[in-house]
Amino acid sequence: MLEFLFGNPTVEKVLFYVNVYGEAYAKQMSDSFGIRINGIQQQLKRLEEGGILVSQLKGKTRLYEFNPRYAFLKELKNLLDRAINALPEKEIERYYRNRTRPRRKGKPL
Amino acid sequence: MKIKWNTITTEELAGLIGSRLEKHGIEGILVGGSCVTIYSKNKYVSEDLDYVTYASVKEIKPVLSKIGFEQKSSRHFEHPECPYFIEFLAPPVSIGEESPIKRFNKIKTAKGIIKLLTPTDCVKDRLAAYFHWNDPQSLEQAILVAKSRRINLKEIKRWSEKEKAGSKYRIFKNRL
Repeated sequence: MLEFLFGNPTVEKVLFYVNVYGEAYAKQMSDSFGIRINGIQQQLKRLEEGGILVSQLKGKTRLYEFNPRYAFLKELKNLLDRAINALPEKEIERYYRNRTRPRRKGKPL
Repeated sequence: MKIKWNTITTEELAGLIGSRLEKHGIEGILVGGSCVTIYSKNKYVSEDLDYVTYASVKEIKPVLSKIGFEQKSSRHFEHPECPYFIEFLAPPVSIGEESPIKRFNKIKTAKGIIKLLTPTDCVKDRLAAYFHWNDPQSLEQAILVAKSRRINLKEIKRWSEKEKAGSKYRIFKNRL
């Protein structure tokens, strides 16, 4: 949808994912989309260098989120919101409706 | 000009880099923690100098290599004897939802002119990190600058409310 604007489909998926969940890490996105982790990491690096995402280590995991200082953040998020809403319902359900609320350790699924 | 790299201060280095960039027609705006260092007279010392520039790394690289800084990653440079890193950030200069910032401060040093965030914008920049990430160090840095320089508190209050951080602004204000 926006892949031609962003240059490739992986960066579109990364931005959609961070927009929906607020923060994300490479393995999580790699598992979710079934894309090689290297490809995801490459795009995360590019987006961080461009000042669009920022990251910090939490434990052993590098978590990425939007850079609140990014000048066009509001406009970018509006664009991403619109694009995500235009996705087929099946795709939204599959990738962008994951559980984010807490689950007690040891609780059966 | 002989430069003592291991004892150079943030302000001297920023002046030197600023003059070198300007000589080659490159505008670099100093942002981030090094502005706090300069405004607080080294009460807080940042180890990296962050510049926002519209120039490409390709244009910057030969300018910095002339004074011994080598490119270490896509946007950051290091000198073998200097303790500071230099990083170039993507433009424009923005703070929270307000962008672009177009009014900057200029400080004259023996080594050159530094173009940097105004003290008020420097406080906002630090507060933005405190508002968003609850970063206590950023709050302390904002307080340091606010106590060291004349700032526009009314403007910071207006901006904080726009950022929906009125209660955190009051914590900052009460510490002054």
